Amino acid sequence: MIWVLIFSELAAFGLFLGAFMVARAIHPAVFASGQATLDSHLAGLNTLVLVTSGWAAARATASARASQRQTARRWLFGAMALGTLFIAIKLFEYAGEIALGNGLETSPFFTLYFLLTGFHLLHVGLGIVILAVVSRGANVTGVETGAAFWHMVDLLWIVMFPIIYLVQQ
Amino acid sequence: MIPDRIDLTWIALIGLALATLLVPPLVARPLLGNALLLTFAALKGRRIVLDFLDLRAAPALWRGLVSAWVLVVVLFAWLASAIVALV
Repeated sequence: MIWVLIFSELAAFGLFLGAFMVARAIHPAVFASGQATLDSHLAGLNTLVLVTSGWAAARATASARASQRQTARRWLFGAMALGTLFIAIKLFEYAGEIALGNGLETSPFFTLYFLLTGFHLLHVGLGIVILAVVSRGANVTGVETGAAFWHMVDLLWIVMFPIIYLVQQ
Repeated sequence: MIPDRIDLTWIALIGLALATLLVPPLVARPLLGNALLLTFAALKGRRIVLDFLDLRAAPALWRGLVSAWVLVVVLFAWLASAIVALV
């Protein structure tokens, strides 16, 4: 069941990213000026945070498979804490962008930027909830399922980050 | 503690993430810079698919579908940017 959800999410984000790339090809100057106002260092820091969170989730899966439920639970808490840090950094980044006068209707770039990253941020929040739920029992199936969703969220960010923040025209 | 595949993957991902951040200031040519950025993204994606999602031992269909998603998205991104740069 989790794989149906994962493939659906990958397909939806793939189409969304495709729309972003097509829009950038149509409005290269608008996208270049919008991208120039983003803080790629904060987003880069968030990449390190989310990748480390994925590592913690993978360690939790390994611990659950070794029947070490308490250890698995601790790794899951680590993954959730780092996920929360990702959200905090992203909200801080949004605050800076909004302070500069950028919003959903500023330009096609910012419309797609806020929708894409906001949709991803919702998935980070949902992932934290899922990890919290599976950490209660910390059984193998539950931890594997929660971690799989979390790694999908990680994978999406790994692909989104360079496309939105770094790819030049 | 001896690092296992999960730890080595994390180290590789951190290294690739840092290398990604170094591309824009060091590579001025967009076509080459974008190719490097997206290659790093594909490599990171592959490590996540194989070692974090643990699809290394999964049926080839599942592994292939997720890996193909990564490849298609980064290739499309590079092609779209290349077309804009060349036109």
